Amino acid sequence: MEKFSYVNATNLEQVTSLLNDSGWGEVMVIAGGTDLLGELKEYVETPKTLVNLKTLPGMDSIAADATGLKIGALTTVADIAMHPTIQRHYTVLAQAAASVATPQIRNVGTLGGNLCQRPRCWYYRDETVDCLKKGGEICYAVEGLNKYHAILGGDPVYIVHPSDIAPALIALGATIKIAGPEGEKTMAVEEFFTLPATNPFRENVLEPNEIVVEVQVPQPKPNTKSLYLKAREKGAPDFALASVAGVFEMSGSTCNTASIVLGGVAPAPWRSKEAEAALTGKMISEAVSKQAGADAVKDAQPLNDNEYKVVLTQNLISRAAMMAAHA
Amino acid sequence: MPEKKEYKVIGTRPIRHDGVDKVTGRALYGADFHTAGLLHGRVLRSPHAHARILSIDTSRAEAYPGVKAIVTAKDLPDAADKVADLGEGAVHLKYLCDNILASDKALYKGHAIAAVAATNAHIAEEACALIDVAYEVLPPVLEVRQAMEPAAPLLHETLKTGSLGETAEEPSNVASHLQHKKGDIEAGFAEADVIIEREFVTGTVHQGYIEPHNATALYNPDGQLTVWCSTQGAFTVREQLTEILQYPISKIKVVPMEIGGGFGGKINVYVEPVAALLAKKTGKPVKVLMNRADVFEGTGPTPASFIRVKMGATKDGKLTAAQTHLAFEAGAYPGSPVGAGAMCIFAPYDIANVLIDGYDVVVNKPKSAPYRAPGATNAAFGSETVIDELAKELNIDALEFRIMNGAKEGVKRADGPVFPRIGFIESVEAAKQHPHYTSPNGKKHHGRGVASGFWFNIGLASSVSISVNPDGTINLVEGSTDIGGTRASIAMQAAEVLGIPAESVNPSVVDTNSVGYTAVTGGSRTTFATGYAAYEAAQDVKRQLIARAAKLWEVDEEDVQFADGEFSCINGKEAQLSFHDLSARLGETGGPVVGSAAVNPPGAGGAFATHIVDLEVDEDTGKVQILRYTATQDAGKAIHPSYVEGQIQGGVVQGIGWALNEEYIYNAEGTMTNASFLDYRIPTCLDLPMIDTVIVEVPNPGHPYGVRGVGEVPIVPPPAAIANAIYDAIGIRMTELPMSPDRMLKAMGKI
Ligand SMILES: Cc1cc2nc3c(=O)[nH]c(=O)nc-3n(C[C@@H](O)[C@@H](O)[C@H](O)COP(=O)(O)OP(=O)(O)OC[C@H]3O[C@@H](n4cnc5c(N)ncnc54)[C@H](O)[C@@H]3O)c2cc1C
Ligand code: SF4
Repeated sequence: MEKFSYVNATNLEQVTSLLNDSGWGEVMVIAGGTDLLGELKEYVETPKTLVNLKTLPGMDSIAADATGLKIGALTTVADIAMHPTIQRHYTVLAQAAASVATPQIRNVGTLGGNLCQRPRCWYYRDETVDCLKKGGEICYAVEGLNKYHAILGGDPVYIVHPSDIAPALIALGATIKIAGPEGEKTMAVEEFFTLPATNPFRENVLEPNEIVVEVQVPQPKPNTKSLYLKAREKGAPDFALASVAGVFEMSGSTCNTASIVLGGVAPAPWRSKEAEAALTGKMISEAVSKQAGADAVKDAQPLNDNEYKVVLTQNLISRAAMMAAHA
Repeated sequence: MPEKKEYKVIGTRPIRHDGVDKVTGRALYGADFHTAGLLHGRVLRSPHAHARILSIDTSRAEAYPGVKAIVTAKDLPDAADKVADLGEGAVHLKYLCDNILASDKALYKGHAIAAVAATNAHIAEEACALIDVAYEVLPPVLEVRQAMEPAAPLLHETLKTGSLGETAEEPSNVASHLQHKKGDIEAGFAEADVIIEREFVTGTVHQGYIEPHNATALYNPDGQLTVWCSTQGAFTVREQLTEILQYPISKIKVVPMEIGGGFGGKINVYVEPVAALLAKKTGKPVKVLMNRADVFEGTGPTPASFIRVKMGATKDGKLTAAQTHLAFEAGAYPGSPVGAGAMCIFAPYDIANVLIDGYDVVVNKPKSAPYRAPGATNAAFGSETVIDELAKELNIDALEFRIMNGAKEGVKRADGPVFPRIGFIESVEAAKQHPHYTSPNGKKHHGRGVASGFWFNIGLASSVSISVNPDGTINLVEGSTDIGGTRASIAMQAAEVLGIPAESVNPSVVDTNSVGYTAVTGGSRTTFATGYAAYEAAQDVKRQLIARAAKLWEVDEEDVQFADGEFSCINGKEAQLSFHDLSARLGETGGPVVGSAAVNPPGAGGAFATHIVDLEVDEDTGKVQILRYTATQDAGKAIHPSYVEGQIQGGVVQGIGWALNEEYIYNAEGTMTNASFLDYRIPTCLDLPMIDTVIVEVPNPGHPYGVRGVGEVPIVPPPAAIANAIYDAIGIRMTELPMSPDRMLKAMGKI
């Protein structure tokens, strides 16, 4: 780990002005540090200054009312996972949060950090490798070891977005509030994340002097079933090999609308319009759910070692649909 | 043979003596060690898996403020080709030294190249980045079959295959070839009605102990070297240091700190000699710690292997022939556990015709180190899968098949030894009668599998001394690192002899200046051999106390009897004293009583285990979930049943991880891409059911209480048992470890 100076943040203006003009990497914000500390120790990031967001007042709580949720960026993943209203009405979000890492990490890791965490690609995390994402020439995953890499939306960079919470938020139609030097702005979480074709170096729209301050989630309709399925090699801690955040508005076993967002398979949380179309307005049967899975992966482009993710994703989607309709 | 006896202490479950210190966080581990003037060391490691070291320029690092010393291989005494008997087996000194600090070639990514001592750990780390090493990068060899090819790049230009007493002309990556023969293999296969032949591949796996390696060293001005470290054997560290540093053994004291796991991986030294070199150069104490990536990349995993197994049986279920080709990766220097694998592979069975060929092959990976029954798990994955297939083919219950062919007392193993009384059949019988095995198992995609395993266990030297306290307690001094509750299991054997409770024994594990020579905690030997020494030392105390009682009562020693903790006079005179009361009177009968013993018991007594596993294969995701697990094992005599159960459960867990998830994933350049506990997946409680254990007790005739080592054999059956259960679930034979979701989906034809 390189030396750095450490500043406890007192207000947003101070944060954005500290970040101002520095570009990426010189000045960085730290929340729980569960992701960033690993990067610092392995020299993936070598900032000169760290700004501790945890000292910002009033950003670590959840407000729930009939219109929806407001979750501060410093709220811990554990608080989201264990919140009774979230568990009951926003099940997909509670399940996604509960699937993150381990109890210790969930107690420390924050919502903002979860959404802004960096890729887990093993070439990215290796300080000696200068891959495309880090400004180098090539994505080593393409010809190299790519068992855990993207099958959808890759090119030119094949990371998978590591966040479990992001797909759940997108499936619920959440918005995100960002603070920058010009004040605050709000956008759909879905638009927050970007694909490498747009920007191979970052995973979202944030500018170097902006931070996430809050996430807002509209209350789902009463007849909504939502769930998060995450396939991983071991119980925990483990990132998703593939995951499905599904929000289904149902009449009996007929699906009125479906929102299907995939994790672990693309460089950004991946909304599957194809799966949604295959389910919308249908009685969910085995055949319908299978079709939804198949449609979702029809454009998948697996690399050498990750073809299994195609089947996995397909099966998870159909399982999610069957569970929503029949479980 | 010892008979089944009633014991007072043995077989009970007292609280371990080291428990309070550990649960309160007071136990001192190597990283906790601190002393005045301490400097911090850091090792610079090779970024290449195979490279010639052209030059090392330390000048920039030396000039860095806070840096006190830098060492490279040049600081090691010239390692003339010399063979030393160190640790588990013979180690070639040049290889040993080169593994500590590479001299001419870096042979694996993570190979130590140089080390820095500085006023703090950050400076040491920063200074490492200022050491300029020029490498000529060479193509790496990363797989055993590839390494055996004649055209493969060579790791050691001078290494020539030693095969059955002959040395080859041309250099090769095959360090040695061994063979065990019994009967006539061709005739054996000719007799068989069914023959199965399969090939197996296992991955490189790490012991995964939680505590990284660490060492602090200090040279006093009088030349006395003291090393505090985390090790399975302080004496083996002392021996390795004396060889590597070419420094007199009498001037080295090794202080074993509390250990946070080892499983075989903390027998070889890594940072200990480096800390010593830095301490010598600076005249200050120097502490060197590894981080997790250092542990994965710079210590000894257990090797990947390629195994071919061919076995034949008659229609009525008699095994007639067994043949195997075992090719094990040694890592960068010769010395894989292929020998042990060859000893164990067919050992549970009485087979007339056996041919075993083993190959020890160097590859550009860290030098392999022992890991819990080293070699036996790889081997059993092959043989126990083929046994299962034969049983299925012959329509014989898999456990019945094992009983029909099981080895008993008097059977000669292919590698020579003749079994004394062993408990293989008993372990299989226990499994066969277990409600787990007799319960129904019919659900879709649920499967049940069984497998057995053998580990020979070792004896070796141990010393113990016991001093009697005036309050009727004893202090027991031993040299065996306590990894799995052996303070308790050793104390209990002394307590049994002296008729006192386990709590009346204060066991201490001490440094190499404070107790007689004691071999490593390894080979499942500690409760057996150090326990044996404790038994003998307690007998010594008993004899001396009988003499004291005789003196008090003015009778002959023969007239004093000792039973149930009471000394009594048997010549008609009414006299009785408890151990406690006599202890209070030592002052008036001649002074302190200290008993001691040093043993080297030969009859370690092999251990056998049989496991049953139920699992579910998720057809959609390829994930294998273990649902139920039962392990039976012959412990000889379980001194402390809870710790025997703990050993069995721990071994099973590691075996499950090996079977399903664990492996070093190498890229083409020879970098391990998953050198963290996030990406190298060891199982947690979420991946495991309760592991039921059944302790079978067939006393070992080679030990006064019948003890057999129990620590290692439980890791042997799991991969095969799980593969057999997967076959039962989905009808597919898995022959490659780990059986991770991607491999499962592929095997199921889903991709
Ligand atoms: C062993 C392990 C297992 C894990 N498993 C999972 C898993 O299964 N699923 C999963 O989703 N995650 C997992 N994680 C990632 C875990 O770090 C995140 O889930 C956690 O929520 C990150 O939050 P943090 O506050 O600690 O982030 P930090 O480490 O503090 O920050 C992460 C990044 O986000 C930036 N950042 C932080 N807050 C903000 C903000 N408000 N605005 C802008 N940028 C910000 C930081 O600069 C940094 O680059 C795992 C991590 C570990 C170490
Ligand atoms: S997937 Fe991304 S992070 Fe990984 S090697 Fe390719 S460019 Fe780098």
